[in-house]
Amino acid sequence: MKQLKYSAVAIALISTLAACGGSGSDDTTPPPTDNKFEFAATEMITNLTDDVIISGYSTLAIKGEEMFLASQTLVANKTQANLLAAQEAWKAARQPWEQGESHIFGPVDSLGIDPHLDSWPLNTTDLKTVLTDNSGFSADTIKGWNDDVQGFHTMEYLLFGDGVADNQKDVADLTMSEAEYLMGLSEVFRDYTKTLDDSWLISHDGQTGKAYGELVKNPGTADNTFYASQVGVIQELVNGMIGIVDEVGNGKIADPFGTSAATADTSKVESQYSWNSLTDFSDNIIGVRNVYQGELTGASDKQGIIDFVKAGDEALALRVSSEIDDAIIKIQAIKGSNNMPFRQAIADAEGRVRIQTAVDALSKLQASLESDVVPLLNKWKV
Amino acid sequence: MKTKLSLLALCIAGFSCTSALAASNPAQLEQAIAKQEAELNKLKHDLAELAAQQKMQQAEQEKQAEVVATTNKVLTESKWSKFSFKSYGSMVYTSDEYYQNVQDTSPERRGRFDLERIVTEFGYQFNDEWDMEVEIEYEHGGTGTALEYDGFDEFGEFETEVEAGGEVMIEKAELRYRPNDAFGVKFGNIHLPIGLTSILHKPNQYLTVQRHRSEAAMLPAVWNEMGVGIFGEMANFHYQAQVVSGLNSEYFRTYDWIASGHQKRFEHVNADELAYAVRLDYGNFKQGSAVGVAYYYGNTSDNRHKSNKVSGDGTVSILAISGAFVQGPWILRGQYLNGTLSDADAITQANKTTPGLKPGNFAQLGSESEAFFVEAGVDLSHFTPVPITVFANIDYSNPLADVDTGTGSKRYENTWTSIGINYFPIPEIVIKAEAGRQQVAMSSIPDTNFFALGVGYQFSL
Repeated sequence: MKQLKYSAVAIALISTLAACGGSGSDDTTPPPTDNKFEFAATEMITNLTDDVIISGYSTLAIKGEEMFLASQTLVANKTQANLLAAQEAWKAARQPWEQGESHIFGPVDSLGIDPHLDSWPLNTTDLKTVLTDNSGFSADTIKGWNDDVQGFHTMEYLLFGDGVADNQKDVADLTMSEAEYLMGLSEVFRDYTKTLDDSWLISHDGQTGKAYGELVKNPGTADNTFYASQVGVIQELVNGMIGIVDEVGNGKIADPFGTSAATADTSKVESQYSWNSLTDFSDNIIGVRNVYQGELTGASDKQGIIDFVKAGDEALALRVSSEIDDAIIKIQAIKGSNNMPFRQAIADAEGRVRIQTAVDALSKLQASLESDVVPLLNKWKV
Repeated sequence: MKTKLSLLALCIAGFSCTSALAASNPAQLEQAIAKQEAELNKLKHDLAELAAQQKMQQAEQEKQAEVVATTNKVLTESKWSKFSFKSYGSMVYTSDEYYQNVQDTSPERRGRFDLERIVTEFGYQFNDEWDMEVEIEYEHGGTGTALEYDGFDEFGEFETEVEAGGEVMIEKAELRYRPNDAFGVKFGNIHLPIGLTSILHKPNQYLTVQRHRSEAAMLPAVWNEMGVGIFGEMANFHYQAQVVSGLNSEYFRTYDWIASGHQKRFEHVNADELAYAVRLDYGNFKQGSAVGVAYYYGNTSDNRHKSNKVSGDGTVSILAISGAFVQGPWILRGQYLNGTLSDADAITQANKTTPGLKPGNFAQLGSESEAFFVEAGVDLSHFTPVPITVFANIDYSNPLADVDTGTGSKRYENTWTSIGINYFPIPEIVIKAEAGRQQVAMSSIPDTNFFALGVGYQFSL
């Protein structure tokens, strides 16, 4: 008798729950006007994963290979032309990497690839010891060393010199030990860029796991422990954009900028040896634009975060779009009419005014993303 | 007793009756008087006897009460005598020069306060052979999180906040069986006898303001693990031998070698690899002069959470040689540590490429590590009425003394030299001051000066 009662209660509970759970296919009562918007996100997520993120990492892997070849050529034949070619190869690899910083989640984080490739600041004191105490650098040996004597900025230092007076280096100043180390570094660098590309295309952990791209594109499936829903994916993408806008405005620019020309600190300027800082910063925000617009600059229109925002608030979508463009323009304008590098601009009165303008533009963009775009996730009727 | 009193009352009553009747005949009267006198005497005697008896009984009662009271007292006293409580702690102010980043070569000065640690130690002696001890340490002011309601945030929000930094840890939780001085067994969470800090960790037992930096840069200072050990003393020789939980190489770091491999991050300690520690001392470091040698040996690879990333054993071995000379006003203590780590390159590689594990920039490991310290002091109270000890100290550590391939960076090779004083206003309290210099073996990094003040206490009930 008692058991019968429990069974009855259980059945009642189950049927109630089932009724709740089935609301997706329940079309008897139309939803009330609840201030929510509809958006089919599958196409956007697929496009951002394939055409923006994976495409960027594939480019990076190709540029990594080219960087390695350029350094091999340089070691084999130490000419000024080969040094310039290696410098260009470095800048070419830098572009997809910096643009990719707008979505620095997934394997680039979990596999610890970011610090292997882009540790900053560079440990120049240790680097000098490494160069004097060692020779014939093999990639395996270098991989065991701490990250602050390898990656982009170590290669930059070897290729461009100290960057104080200029970003040119005479090939005669490049020692054999430096050239060999550069070659070893670029081999390690190439391997990591390949690993990163593979993790999105083949296996996210390099072992038995699924390709990370597949996990992003198929949230909510039974074996997907990374993303439970499309909301989670969009949240990750938007937070990625916010993260880099914050880092450029409040970190990369503001840290060396200080409160006055007197407290400005050139030692903290990233990519100061190549004088590539402003290109780095604007590439970071161009990366934000890639994710927002859904395509790389100049490519044909595809779905991006802008389409999601448009569905919720058309005016906001356009405003954020123009704020991104404005931030890029303001960063590029820091160089002024005489092509002043960032490390000089922080100590220059007029340069500081232009930098402040760029910081303000970035703050405005960050505020819009945080307080207007993020809340749309709650208004989205999934 | 009551019956006797009633009898007495009856007699008195009878006596008053008979006296009234016998008044007519003098001879009879005389006889009656004599009889009554005899009776009276007898009654007096009875009364006296009764009083004496009463007195005796009272005395007996008092005596009994006294016995009960003393028994109770003895009972309570022995309960407390089995319990022991000790505590020690320290607070320090340090002023150090530090570098903003790895490229920075112009140091900035920073002063800091730290409620370093408060340690409480509870012990209980079950009987002559069995006892237990639990040590709880609160570091840097303890730790805590709190749920708070913030009415000013949007519609009012609940927020979880971290209230204070620091740690609360069980540093020791051991049961001991000690049938005699020559032999004892302890098990549970026990202190490893590797490193003098494990033995001398109370503020009055070392001269520097903070514990010796050389040891902290190489192994877990006051190292505790789960395990079992035997110990004892014979003819002033003290020995210890232990089997304990091993280290996890996933957390080995450049700057402190195997120290952060001490497994305390997780609720469970991986115990697929055990370690062995032995120590032999002649003399007693806690009481004064002694010399000693200790050795630690253990594999680490199987204790990794991702155990398939390293194929070698990752064997850690540490040799510690220490000595102390404490006589009259003179204090001299020193220790030399030498450690080796097998498969250092393989562990470095694994730590750099394990998904989610973030060793940051500090993955490179020394296949050999080295450290030593020497501290020397003079207790001026032997010459003046002031209880002050002046001291000089040198600490050296190099966690990258050797590497599997290439040459190790000299950035982590540090030497600290200092002088200072210990002032004991009362024996339980010590106030310390120390000033010194830190040198990094790399010539491009300038030497820095440091200054430290500290106050420490220790007592035991």
